Amino acid sequence: MSLRKTLAILLSKIINRISILLGKQGVTFCGKLALKLCPDILRDLSSQVREGIFVTCGTNGKTTTNNMLNSFLKSEGKKTVCNMTGSNMLNGVVAAFVLSASLGGKLDADYAVIEIDEASTLRVFPHFKPDYMLLTNLFRDQLDRYGEIDITIDILLRALELCPDCKIIANADDVLCASLAKKSGHDFITFGINEPCKANPASTSEIREGAFCQFCGERLDYDFYHFSQLGSYHCPKCGYKRPLINYNATDISLKNGLSFKVVGSDNNERALSSNYRGFYNIYNILAAFSAASETGLELKNIDAILKSFKPENGRMESFKIGECNVLLNLAKNPAGFNQNISAVMEDDSPKDLVVVINDNAQDGKDISWLWDVDFERFSGANVKSIIVSGLRAYDMELRFKYSDIKAKAVINIEDGIKELLTGHTNNLYVLVNYTALYNTRKWLKSMED
Amino acid sequence: MNIRIGHLYPDLLNLYGDRGNIRCMMKRLSWRGIDAELVEYKLNDKVNFNDCDIFLLGGGSDREQKLVCKELSSIKKDFKKYVEDMGVVIAICGGYQLLGAYYQMDDESVEGLELVDLYTVQGEGRLIGNITIKSDLFDMPITGFENHGGRTTLGEGVTPLGKVVNGFGNDGNSGYEGVIYKNVIGTYLHGPLLPKNPQVCDYILAKSLSKKYGKDIILDPLDDSAEDRANNYSQALN
Ligand SMILES: [Zn+2]
Repeated sequence: MSLRKTLAILLSKIINRISILLGKQGVTFCGKLALKLCPDILRDLSSQVREGIFVTCGTNGKTTTNNMLNSFLKSEGKKTVCNMTGSNMLNGVVAAFVLSASLGGKLDADYAVIEIDEASTLRVFPHFKPDYMLLTNLFRDQLDRYGEIDITIDILLRALELCPDCKIIANADDVLCASLAKKSGHDFITFGINEPCKANPASTSEIREGAFCQFCGERLDYDFYHFSQLGSYHCPKCGYKRPLINYNATDISLKNGLSFKVVGSDNNERALSSNYRGFYNIYNILAAFSAASETGLELKNIDAILKSFKPENGRMESFKIGECNVLLNLAKNPAGFNQNISAVMEDDSPKDLVVVINDNAQDGKDISWLWDVDFERFSGANVKSIIVSGLRAYDMELRFKYSDIKAKAVINIEDGIKELLTGHTNNLYVLVNYTALYNTRKWLKSMED
Repeated sequence: MNIRIGHLYPDLLNLYGDRGNIRCMMKRLSWRGIDAELVEYKLNDKVNFNDCDIFLLGGGSDREQKLVCKELSSIKKDFKKYVEDMGVVIAICGGYQLLGAYYQMDDESVEGLELVDLYTVQGEGRLIGNITIKSDLFDMPITGFENHGGRTTLGEGVTPLGKVVNGFGNDGNSGYEGVIYKNVIGTYLHGPLLPKNPQVCDYILAKSLSKKYGKDIILDPLDDSAEDRANNYSQALN
């Protein structure tokens, strides 16, 4: 037991406590410090995990899926380490382990459930080799526009080379995930939605990236889409097609939350229902369920978890401010925004809307992606008034103007939301991009009290 | 009146919200009571240059540009005739590079359309950031975002679209951005370009209408206060 290790853990815990008291995010700083004091700390602590390490990667839904998997495992009485706050680069991962360890450097955990930023996998995997990688989806993100998704795929492939025994749990409906799993040569299983879903007819106006075969370069043919590029595809040239789905969601209903059946490739059936909303959350639940099933646990308590689930961290998180129900939702890229619009449209009662767009470095400084989102769909969504806010409110105002939808720009986010809190429909949706989330959420919480 | 807009290879060249440019042209026509029609040409579709009054060539990643490049050689001759006959073209980012003779990348060279005397060579690092330029054509500055690895050099006597006020422009050195040749505009600016720069949009629309109807057409003014706000805001960014 080295002194440096104890010191690293102690200091991290103190700093984290102070950060919480000050209402600041100190997690990544803790990780940075701990790693500096004791470079071996992540390898040391992660090696103490008794049963298995899961990592979750993918463009959208990482935090939701990873935290759900964590809850599933905990409900079976398992002890876990999880980076719940979504700090998913090397320092955030280190912090999750360090803050769970005892001052004596002992970690008491059956599983580690860790979400990792795709680009950070290459920096994290030298410290530990995951047993499972859960791949949610790979969409083109606003941040890596020029670099393209190809670079992300390449990084993940190289990272997977570092852990040859890692089993992949991939979204079969996403050609990029499924192709990646196949290309890696790793053992893999899949989840997906085998048939077109009647409850969620795919938008025909949605802007889709041309999808090309990862093996021969030919344009892929789609039999149908669920949303974005998720669906059933095949390559007319080399014959590559959507792989067999091991965990298939069927009998989907979007009324009063989500419910569906999961049919395993062993023909076992399991009905799941939750108070989550948004079609895309079926993929998140399905992904977490598939991963949890791989442990061989019975999963007898997950129904209660899905039903009592209270969304946090601005993923469809609800607030009650005076008479007004506020629903906060994060969207970082066109695919995420389009899914959010679908989720808003599942509610057909009158509503108001605030859209907050920032252009800080973590959001992407280039906001041209706004024009790849189907904002036109809001014209049929029973939206009474719209306010656009954030650093790029004027660009968002234009985006609505060119969809023939009226919107008013209020740069200050709190002022913008306040305008619609009273005297309107009392059903307010707030859609924000990344850097707007933290402060907006904090402010909404403070307004609740 | 009626204008047909041809979007070349939107399935490949739509890296920077280029559909926003299409939407902007369509709306600014229809708000003035002019019919607007969009024709999307996908890879392997036959392009007849007599069918449209404006062509838009957007930007793609290097890989996508290579895919399009194969296709381009088949339309090169017809496209050249269209441009020389004062046909209207707006080419953005990767599309701008394709207007020229070639785009020399590290490992290979992509042949261009040779519509305008310019060429592009990949440089060290990408030129990324908000950009504002001043063109002699308009009082209002043109503003947007640039993100390109290629450095573009214009031939002798070829007119740039404008002078760089802040940002990098064609090559980060010359102080110039974009190109204007006959009724062709090429530029690295996206954001997308046209919604915040309605002066550029209306210029293109007026040129295409004037050519089609054989007389000078002056467009009715629109309420551009939202456009002006976004333009002003973007100018102030660095
Ligand atoms: Zn193929």
